[in-house]
Formats: sequence, structure tokens, C-alpha cells
Amino acid sequence: MTTANDVLSALQSAFPGAIEDAKVDPERQLWATIKPDKIVDVCKYLRDNHNFDHYSGAAGVDKINEGLFEVTELLASHGAHQVVALLKVKTPRDNPSVKSLTGLFWNANWYEREIWEMLGINFEDHPELYPLLLSDELVGVWPWRKDYKGYPDYTTAERAIERINSEGYMEYHIPPTEAEIEAGTVPVERPKYPSLREREEMEIKGESEMILHLGPQHAVVPGPFLLDLLVDGERVKKAFLDVGYIHKGIEKIMENRTYVQGIPITDRLCYMAALTNNEAYCGSVERLLGIEAPERAQYIRMILEELSRIQSHLLGTGEFLTLIGSAVFCPFLYMIIDREDVLTCIESVTGARINHSFVRFGGVRNDLPDGFKDMTLDVLKKVRQKTEEYKELFLSDSIYNKRMEGVGVLSPSEARRLGVSGPPLRASDTPYDMRREDPYLLYKEMDFDVITRKEGDSKARIEVRLDEIVESCYIIEQCLDQIPSGPIQEKLPKRIKPDPGEAYYRVEDHRGEMGFFVVSDGSDKPVKVKARGPVYAYFQALPPLLEGTYIADVVAIAGSMDACTSEVDR
Amino acid sequence: MVLSAITEFAAQEPKLYAFIIGLVGAAILASVINVGAMAVVWLERKVMGDLQARYGPNRVGGRWGILQLGADAIKLFTKEDIIPRGADKPVYVWAPIVASATTMLVAGAIPFGAVIIDGKEIPLVVANMDISALYVEAVLSLMAISAFMAGWSSNNKYSMLGAFRGVARMISYEVPMGVCVISVAIMAHSLNLVEIVQAQSIWFAVAQPLGFIIFTIALITDLGRMPFDQTEAEEEIIAGYNTEYSGIRFGLLYFQEYNSMLLGAILLVLLYLGGWNGPVIPVISFISPMIWFFMKLLIVLVALIWIRVSLLRFRIDQVTDLGWKVMLPLSMVNLAWAVAVGLYFA
Repeated sequence: MTTANDVLSALQSAFPGAIEDAKVDPERQLWATIKPDKIVDVCKYLRDNHNFDHYSGAAGVDKINEGLFEVTELLASHGAHQVVALLKVKTPRDNPSVKSLTGLFWNANWYEREIWEMLGINFEDHPELYPLLLSDELVGVWPWRKDYKGYPDYTTAERAIERINSEGYMEYHIPPTEAEIEAGTVPVERPKYPSLREREEMEIKGESEMILHLGPQHAVVPGPFLLDLLVDGERVKKAFLDVGYIHKGIEKIMENRTYVQGIPITDRLCYMAALTNNEAYCGSVERLLGIEAPERAQYIRMILEELSRIQSHLLGTGEFLTLIGSAVFCPFLYMIIDREDVLTCIESVTGARINHSFVRFGGVRNDLPDGFKDMTLDVLKKVRQKTEEYKELFLSDSIYNKRMEGVGVLSPSEARRLGVSGPPLRASDTPYDMRREDPYLLYKEMDFDVITRKEGDSKARIEVRLDEIVESCYIIEQCLDQIPSGPIQEKLPKRIKPDPGEAYYRVEDHRGEMGFFVVSDGSDKPVKVKARGPVYAYFQALPPLLEGTYIADVVAIAGSMDACTSEVDR
Repeated sequence: MVLSAITEFAAQEPKLYAFIIGLVGAAILASVINVGAMAVVWLERKVMGDLQARYGPNRVGGRWGILQLGADAIKLFTKEDIIPRGADKPVYVWAPIVASATTMLVAGAIPFGAVIIDGKEIPLVVANMDISALYVEAVLSLMAISAFMAGWSSNNKYSMLGAFRGVARMISYEVPMGVCVISVAIMAHSLNLVEIVQAQSIWFAVAQPLGFIIFTIALITDLGRMPFDQTEAEEEIIAGYNTEYSGIRFGLLYFQEYNSMLLGAILLVLLYLGGWNGPVIPVISFISPMIWFFMKLLIVLVALIWIRVSLLRFRIDQVTDLGWKVMLPLSMVNLAWAVAVGLYFA
């Protein structure tokens, strides 16, 4: 088994002088600073020789005191070993530029685009540095930089004027005030690039082709995002995706709050996965603080996170069924009823149904109430029974099979290349699950299977979700049996001030790999929080999946991914 | 006395009499079919609610929500009537009217049951034509025209895709449906719907089970209900051909769907389920055929609703595939069967 130390010594011997201040902390995590001109070579070496085939994301940090930007690249392996490599590249604040990894990892594209539009770090050799989350007008203000001044003027709505745009439609325009131009909060010169509309229209080749907009408000989309299809009749020739319609700047907000105040904000990443988002953030800060939750608290976290997984999978499957059926399709409503029971269980502990803010640094907020075990066991029994029923209901339905089999097939190699994780990856015959791969909490001691399917089509993804519901029931039952008594909260100082440093902690969200990268400078507020969400990766993989399908299949494929726009935009 | 006055008038002015009777008949027909469709909408909401473990309408008009549809109608009437800027205005305006007219044309030739007066069965039909089965089948396909008018004139991409899908679907299912009607006509030795009903000493659903299944599927397709509602698949193309419609124009298009659902169910009962045939119930023998007719109709309607909530939607290419590659050959087999067995019924 490859360990982080092996990888480090191999790197040091292969690239003498290119590796600065490397460390392994905790075990399985390799931190290293790489010289900027060597980053592509190092990544290529890791990918080819040490099975680092999973590009997990990148985070940009503005170290204004040192006059530097730092880009941290996260590399991992799809099951060959459990080492996570976090490679840092430094670049000066004036004229920042880093080499792009898009040539090595296809899915580096979006992560680098995001860092470019937020921090203004140029990525050399990046094929399409267009704005992703921000609107075109905001490019050039670089909002994630520490010296970003923001829009101080709250009277924008009053200044808005109506004007006719080039297409003859009325739009609102907010002219910048002189004070804003002076303060530099409005970019006067913006980088030149074609807009999404222009890029789409360049692709139209024939008379019979047209752009069909699904979104930003459309029944197929779980939240506002724009999915534009270049269609020829009923066939999709190319798909374009535009996100950023509900960009909330959560990561920036968390930089301006104390560590504890950050917990409720992580709920808002995605309300379906509030508990796992809490867990990922708290786990990361716990690593910074060097503490661990008491055993009972870890069991409570596991129970609630698995319950949360059940409710998320139930709703995800139900919503998917309404997409290929219609909103009146019965099983969807039955699943909502089941989900209600599961939510009641969670509510009895956390007091909330959606935004829990339950997990704390070094523990949890509440203990389990009396009678929780019996209530939960009853609900689990029912959920398990109903899930078997649902499986029978869909898998024997010939229309369902006709619609789903062989639709949106992701081969194992393709799924790994596109960087998806969670059920879509496991449906493509890759047993990649953080609970096994990077065991957090006490999942090491639990007995459960990682569900996989060979087919990789939409049907397999739904089967994986339904099977995972049953598997989660099994985990919760074990937890309820084994849970010890004891404290639920570690003693912590009133004001949490971690030592300077960085930490990365990833958990298995309901949808895949969810990680939080937190950087501390010793104050009571984080310097940088980066949420690496699974749906971001799904979305990036969606356009290539949709090419050549029918319009009706777009719905089936996008639905089987179980997406959440809120988490993509953050 | 009134009756004798009417017969006297009829003898004196036959043309005027026919005209007045026609007007009265049309008025009765329109109100019957529209009230019937309202009942169907209510039934669908209630039955669907039960199947989905929820209540359905239960506020307006008592605990059964009977007046809910009236409230909806008021809402639709008072809404702003929007015509998109780029729309083809005359076509856009006429599409809902054509749609409503189509259903009325169908309704004119369909018998809505029968009553027994003096031991004689009198069918309740406005226009008792000799070729009414063929006529109804032909006019039903006009529905696709109104949908296409609506979809094309809206100047909207979703509407246009919906309209195209509607026409593709209509072409692939009209043929097997027509062949099924012909098979029934062969067995009944008539194209008159009343005579077809009277010829069913054994229900044609039993005599031609294959034809019954094909006709039912083709009928659901014609009506555009699940699993064949690709024209208005809301998850893909918003509302299909009526995306741009609002207010009462949308109301008409929406209502026309339920009108045609009612008429389609009646057609199914007439052609395959023995119409109003059934043992005469003593004491109320006068309306005994009506009772049988409505019981059958109710079962068919509930079955249609049940299908809607429990099946998923086909893809449009699968629909046309099914139509041409499966339904058409099977309907031909059914035709051969009808010709062979038809001798028995002669």
C-alpha cells in the first residue's frame, strides 16, 4: 500500500529542488509547495507513476501580507491508494499567473476558471477562460481578493434605468457613479471574451439547428441554471451550461465570520445535505484545532448523517421520477411520505428539518432524545420495506427500462476522467466512497458494502441510490446498537483561534465527495474557506454526457445525477 | 297538448322545424358535453388525489371540492389575455376555437346512451349518420391540427417542438386506430355507431381482444395522456403547444383535452364495451340503458386516470416506433381476425 511518505520521497528524488517545505499531516495527506514552473510535470508524474488519477479541485488563497497568491491543487486516486496530495503553487500578487492543469485533467477546467474570475490569477494554456459564476459585468473586480472593496452604494435600485438592448428587449442598466469609478469598484476596462450567447451561436451550422434554452427557470432544473441545447429536431448536438444564477458568495461570507458563525452558513450550501456539509466544515476546523469529538458524538453524527443520506436519496429518486414521468407520478409522493418520517427522526434530535447547524467543533449540539432508538428502528424498518417495493415498482416497469437502459452511459474510464464522484461514479463500476477511501468518524468500524453497478447508465445510478438507502439503514442499526454513553462535546475555549495552518477534510456527501479546505492565520476568522462540492463536478460532466441524445433523454440524464444548483454556485 | 302543437308545427314548416330542433340539439349537446367534461376534471382531481395519498380539492364547494372548477374558470376568465409579440395572430386566436369546434363536431355524431320508451330503444344522438364511426374517427384527427396551429403560431421553440411531436404521433397512431374501427365495422356490418352497439350481442372487446387493446392505446395517444403526453411534456418542453397561451384561451385548450377525453371514453364504450347494452333493470327500465352506459363510462374514465398516475412517459421516437412497428402490424392481424370471425356474427 502506497503511503504519503512513499509518494513524498519518490517526488523528492524525481524532482530534486522543486519541492519546498513538504509535510505529511495527518497520515494520508501530503502537503507540498511546488515551484511554479514544475507543477505540470509534478502532476503528470504523480498521475502516471503513482495513480493520482482523480483531480479533486483547486483552491486559491490570497496571502496579502506576503504579497502572494497560493493555488492549492488537490489530487487523489480512484482506489489505488488513499493518499491525498495537496500541492501548493505560489505566484506574486501583481500579474499573477499559474500553469493550467487542463491538459492533464479534463475537469480542472471549471476549478481554474473559478479561481481566475474570483482572484484574477491567469492560468496559462487554459482553453476557455470565460466567467463561470460571476456575471460578465463583474469580471475584473476580482471579488475574492482581500483588498476587494465591494459595492458600497446601496442605492443601485434607485439608479437603475430602463433601456432597449440590441435585441429589442427592455433591460435594466445600473450606471456606475463617479465615486464608484474612482474607488475602483467598477472595472473600467474588462477582459475581452465572447459571451455565452455568442459562443453558442458560433456552433450553429445548419438551417435545421436551433438553441433550446432549458432554464434558468425550467422544470428540469433543480435550481436556477441555464442548460442550452443545440438541437437538430429532437437530437441534441451540443450542450452548454451556464451556472452562477444563485451565487451567494458563501466562501467569502465565511471569511468575514468567526469559525462558529460559519457553521450555519454551510447549511445553506445545499439544504438536502446540511448535516454532511456541517460535518465537512467542522471536521476540517477540528483538524486545524487538533481535536477530535468524543466517541458518543461521533456515533450521533454518523446516525444523523446516514438518516440525512436516506432522506436525500428518497427525494432525489422521487424528483428524478417526476422528470421522466410527470409531477403526478404516484411513487414520487409516496417517497415524500417516507422522507417525512425520516425527517421527523432527524428533527427530534436537531430541532430542525432542513437547516440543522447541528455539528459542532469537537462534538454535537444535542444528545439523542429518549425513545430515539425505538422510533428510528421503526422508521428504518418501514423505509427498508418500502425501498424494496420501489425497486420492484420501477425495475419491473417496461417503460422505465426502455427509457433508462443505455441512456447517458458513463464508462468507468470516462467517469473517472470527468471527475464525478458519488452514486454516478459508483454506478460506473468504481467503488469510490469516502467512508471507505478516507475513513472519517468511525466508519472504519462499521460493516457495510460500497454499492456499485457495472452498467453506468441512468438506471444504474438510481439502483445505486436505492441500494444505498438500505445500506444506510444497516449502518444506522449498527450505530444504535454500539453507541456508548459519555460526553458529547469536547471542552473548547470560548474564542476559537486555531494555529496558523491549513486543513482539508472530506466526507461522503449523499452526492459524492464533499471537502472543506480551511486556511487559518491564527486569528478568529478563517483566511480562506473552500468548499469542494460533488455537484460542481457533476455539472461540469453534464455537457459531454448530453451530446447526441434526445431531448427527452436530457431530462433523464440530468435527473439521474440528482443535482443541486445551490451547492454549485455557493 | 304541447306535443300535438309541435307535431302540427313540424308538419307545416318542416325546414324551420329542423333548424330550430338543430339549434336546440346543439345547445343541449354543448351543455351536456361541457358539464360532462367538468365532471371529468373533478373526477380526475379527486381520483388522482386518492391514488397519490392526498386529498385533492376540498375547500371550494364543501368537503368534496365540487365548485373548485367554477373557481378555476372564474380565474381563467378574469386573467389578462396575452398574445406574444411575434405570434401569428389570426392563427393563434383561432387555434382554441378550432379545438373546441372539433370536439363539438365529434360530439354531434356520438350517441350518449339510449332510453327505452314503450319497449323501444331510442338512442340519444344528434346526428345519426350511416358512417358515424368513420366520421368520428376522421374528425378526432383534426385535434392534431388545432394543436399544430397553436404550437406553430406561438413563435416559441417549446411550442413548436410540441406541435411537431403531436403531428408525428398523430400520423403514426391514426392508421392503427382507423384499421381497428374498420375491423369493428366489419364485425357489426355497419359504420353507424348505433348499429354497432346494437350488433354487440357479445362485446367486441371479447370478440376482438387484440383490437380492443390496440384501440385503447391509440386512443390514449390521440388524447395525449400519459404515457403518451409528449406534446406537453412539462419536464422537457414546458407545456408544449400551449406554452404561450394564458387566460381563457388556455382554458379552452385545456378544457378541450377533457372534452376529448370524455368523448374518447364514450367511443371506447360504444365500439368495444357494448355501449348501453345490458340486462333491463325492472321498475326503472326507462333509463336502464343509461345506467349501464354510465357505469361502463365511469370505469373507463377511472382506468384512464389510473394509467396517468402510474405510468412513465415514452420518448417520442419510441412512440413512433411502437406505432409503426408494433401497432400497425398487429392491427392488420386484428383486421384479418375480424374478417374471419365476422362470418359468425353475420
